[in-house]
Formats: sequence, structure tokens, C-alpha cells
Amino acid sequence: MPLPDDPTICPRCAFETIDRLATSPVPGVWDVLQCRQCLYTWRTTEPARRTRRDAYPDQFKMTVADIENAIEVPAVPPLRRAG
Amino acid sequence: MAHDDLRSFLDTLEQEGQLLRLTEEVLPEPDLAAAANATGRIGENAPALYFDNVKGFTDARIAMNVHGSWANHALALGLPRNTPVKEQVEAFAARWDVFPVAPERREDAPWRENTQEGADVDLFSVLPLFRLNDGDGGFYLDKAAVVSRDPEDPRNFGKQNVGTYRIEVIGTDRLAFQPVPMHDIAHHLRKAEEAGEDLPVAITLGNDPVITIVAGMPMAYDQSEYEMAGALRGAPAPIATAPLTGFDVPWGSEVVIEGVIESRKRQIEGPFGEFTGHYSGGRRMPVIRVDRVSHRTNPVFESLYLGMPWTEVDYLVGPNTCVPLLKQLRAEYPEVQAVNAMYTHGLMVIISTAKRYGGFAKAVGMRAMTTPHGLGYVAQVILVDEDVDPFNLPQVMWAMSAKVNPADDVVVIPNLSVLELAPAAQPAGITSKMIIDATTPVAPDVRGNFSTPAKDLPEAKEWAAKLQRLIAARS
Repeated sequence: MPLPDDPTICPRCAFETIDRLATSPVPGVWDVLQCRQCLYTWRTTEPARRTRRDAYPDQFKMTVADIENAIEVPAVPPLRRAG
Repeated sequence: MAHDDLRSFLDTLEQEGQLLRLTEEVLPEPDLAAAANATGRIGENAPALYFDNVKGFTDARIAMNVHGSWANHALALGLPRNTPVKEQVEAFAARWDVFPVAPERREDAPWRENTQEGADVDLFSVLPLFRLNDGDGGFYLDKAAVVSRDPEDPRNFGKQNVGTYRIEVIGTDRLAFQPVPMHDIAHHLRKAEEAGEDLPVAITLGNDPVITIVAGMPMAYDQSEYEMAGALRGAPAPIATAPLTGFDVPWGSEVVIEGVIESRKRQIEGPFGEFTGHYSGGRRMPVIRVDRVSHRTNPVFESLYLGMPWTEVDYLVGPNTCVPLLKQLRAEYPEVQAVNAMYTHGLMVIISTAKRYGGFAKAVGMRAMTTPHGLGYVAQVILVDEDVDPFNLPQVMWAMSAKVNPADDVVVIPNLSVLELAPAAQPAGITSKMIIDATTPVAPDVRGNFSTPAKDLPEAKEWAAKLQRLIAARS
């Protein structure tokens, strides 16, 4: 579900719409969040290098172009014509 | 003794001193992955790890490094825990000859105890998911046996595939999935997508140790992994019918996830710290919609740390990659003595072979590259003589240093196929491949000065075995 009051942005692509995928079975310990744009998924109790935009390593950051231009593996094959 | 499920194997590991229970509270990240990462750095007989006190979870049960040592690999095959590696591979190859052994169907699978369907599916409520490496895009199922069928021949038991593929959890009921184009499920998916149809799959987690070995084994397309499991176990593999897909799945699994790979759809996935010791970049990969989850009460979640070798995956797929290549090469070239394909799933392979005539060893090397597994791996082959043990790396380095004349013995072939994950490929999926012929030249290839080799004494082999027995008895 959306988290409208949460200032969190995606550590990886800086997108601002974040969903909550799960919450800890022991109440209040952690949430699992996910960026709606790049699908990066993290737990709120992980180290800053995985959860905060300013600490996230540059080599793993992703842009919209990175997402849209990523190669397909495997490529979608042509549809086979009937007959 | 054949193990029918993961739990009985964990009991065996514990009895043999090869299971470490961690009872103190640990963080899901980074502790779980860091502990499993450490097993690869503390020696080659590291134990399996079992966690049941993970912060924020109430009933998580996590097993890691289950196959991650030579002792554990031996026990998985029902061999004594101190069986030398070369003997494990030889035992594996001997059992291959019993293939096929028909499986045994059972109706009382323990994973029938609990079910989630449709809108009620929530993978996070069943599995204590967690991240492995810093740069991973999310949480992964990386030790599953995934079952699929050939859409054009769905009743063919041999073409039903059981394989291990990386699977990212991208939603409560959605997964991203990587079928390497050379792998069997990629053939299934291509046929389904050419017809515009979804491909049903059954993803089984927490399996008996031999099912995991055969799921990571590069077998021929129409060979049944269940029939190979029976050969390796020395007893029929117990299987059951998955309720939604009707597929044959392991009887002893902890969790069975069923759904479909949605046809002709790709979505961003990764990166993931791979067995190559490098991250794969973000790729657009197929997506699975999960329609049903069946699971044991209090399931054990089995996961595997991988990153810079050696890690558990190297112990898991090392021997099971050597044996198919050995069998496939020997089928045409009985001169082949042994194959060591234990490095990075066979991206580099060492083969010992006798020679028919000059140039023969290079032909064996080229054949290795054109085996089904070789098409996607086997980027470098080192050929050594029949009296060199390819598992003994100092011997291999001796052959390389003494027998190779680079101008004549190193062959580079450009633009061959390799899996996209190979870090040196350029572009992804294409690489040059290299043969290093470190065998002694034979006529009519008359080169070098090899007429007076110093050989081991005739009695040395017997003495080596005797000394090994004495050392083993001492410990």
C-alpha cells in the first residue's frame, strides 16, 4: 500500500512512490518497502548503504533510462503464425 | 541412506557434526548472509547453518550452506563425510550408469498441510525472506527446484524439467525469473511465448539434498532429473502431484509455489551477486504470477549465499558439472580420463586425456565447447596428459608450465556463445574461447624435447593410499 506520509525515497532510483510489501510479524520491528519504479526492495532495518539515498553506492544507482533500456533476457521471440 | 526430505538430511548433518545451530538473536540483514558468506572462508569442511531466532520474525527457520562443503556433499550422496573429492566424483559417475531409476509416486506429501490461493497468496507470510549482497535488487529464492513441461510435448516425463534458476521476489504474489537461454526451461518458455501462451511452473523449496543436486546438473534435455535422482540415491525418488499444475514435484519439499510465467512480458530484475563473483546488471526478465502456495507447517526456508567463489554453489554444482561432461566426452572419445569442471560452473574446464595422434587433445577441447553445457559455459579448456590428475592443481600448473608452447598450443576462437552472466563476455552472451593444450605432443605433431620424463615410482600409488588411510585413521 502507498505510504503518503512517509518521506522515504527509493535509495536506488530516487523515485518517490514507495509501497510496503510486508511488516514484521513482531509488531513495529521492521517493514519491507519497494520502489514502484525500479522494484528495488529493502527492509527498514538494513544498513544505511542499502536504505538511504545519500549512502547508496553510486555503482548500483539506476535511472529511468537504465530501466527502460535494460536488455531483455531472454528476448521475447516472434509469435508463431497458425498453420 | 537416501534422504526423502530436507529435515532428515539436516538431522544427518547434525549427527555427523556438520550442522551448526545459531540460537542467539540475529538480524535478517546483514547477519544471515554474512554468516553464510563466512562459511566459504573458514575451510572446506564448513558446516550447514540453522537459524531460528531472527529479529522481527516469530517462527522463522532458515537453513544455509546445506551443501556448502565437501563433507556435506559426501553426506548428501550417502558417502562417508571424509570421502576425498576425486572419489566423490568417481562415485557420482558410477551411479550415473544406473540411470534411469523410475520414481515412486506418493499421495501423502507433507506440503499439503497448508494452502494459500488467489488473492490470499502472500509469500512474505510463508517465507522469512532476506537480502544476500549489498547491491542485490531485492530478496531472492536461489535454491529452488523449478518444474516445467515442454508445452509441445507435455506428457513426456523426460522432457519435464527440474532446474535451479534465480528468482527475485518482486511482490507478495509476483516473482521475477531468470531462464538462461541455454537452459531447459528457456526452451519451454520460448515455445510457450511463440504460441502466445503462459508457461505454468511449480517452484519447490527446501528439497531433499539429491533433488537439489540434480536440479543444478546440466543433463540432456530429455533426461529426467527424477530418474537421475533415483540413480544417485540408490532408491526411487519420492514424487507427488502438484495440485494446481498437475506437475510432478518432490514429495519431501517444504514449500510448493505454483503459477505461470506470464507470456511475452519482461520487467526490470536484479542486479544479483552471482556465482561468477560479480553482479549481473539490471535486466528485463520474465515475470511469474503466483496462484497457489502449499507448505508444511513451520516450513524450513533453505537459501544459499553466493558471491565471490568459493561459496556453497561451487560445492553444489562442481561435481555435478564434471560428470555430464565426462560422460558426454567419453561417449565419443574413450581416451578421456577425468574432467574437472568445478570452477565457476565450468566456465573453465580441465580435461585429462590420452592421445590417438597429434592434435587429438585440441579436438577434445573443441568437443567440450560444443556439449550442451559447453555452449553456455566452457570458455577455457586446459588439456593435460592421461597421467595428470586434473583435480590436482599443482600438477596442472606443472603441465602448463612445462608442456605449453604458446604459439602452437594456445588456440583462441572468436565470437562463441556463453551465458549472459559471464563477466568477460562482450557483448553479453558472446565471448572468445580458448584451448590450452598442455599435453605432450605425439606424432605426427613432433615438437619439443619430451623423451625423458621423470615418472612416479611404481610403488608410489600404493604408498599414497596407505598414507591417506593412516592419516584418516589418526583423525
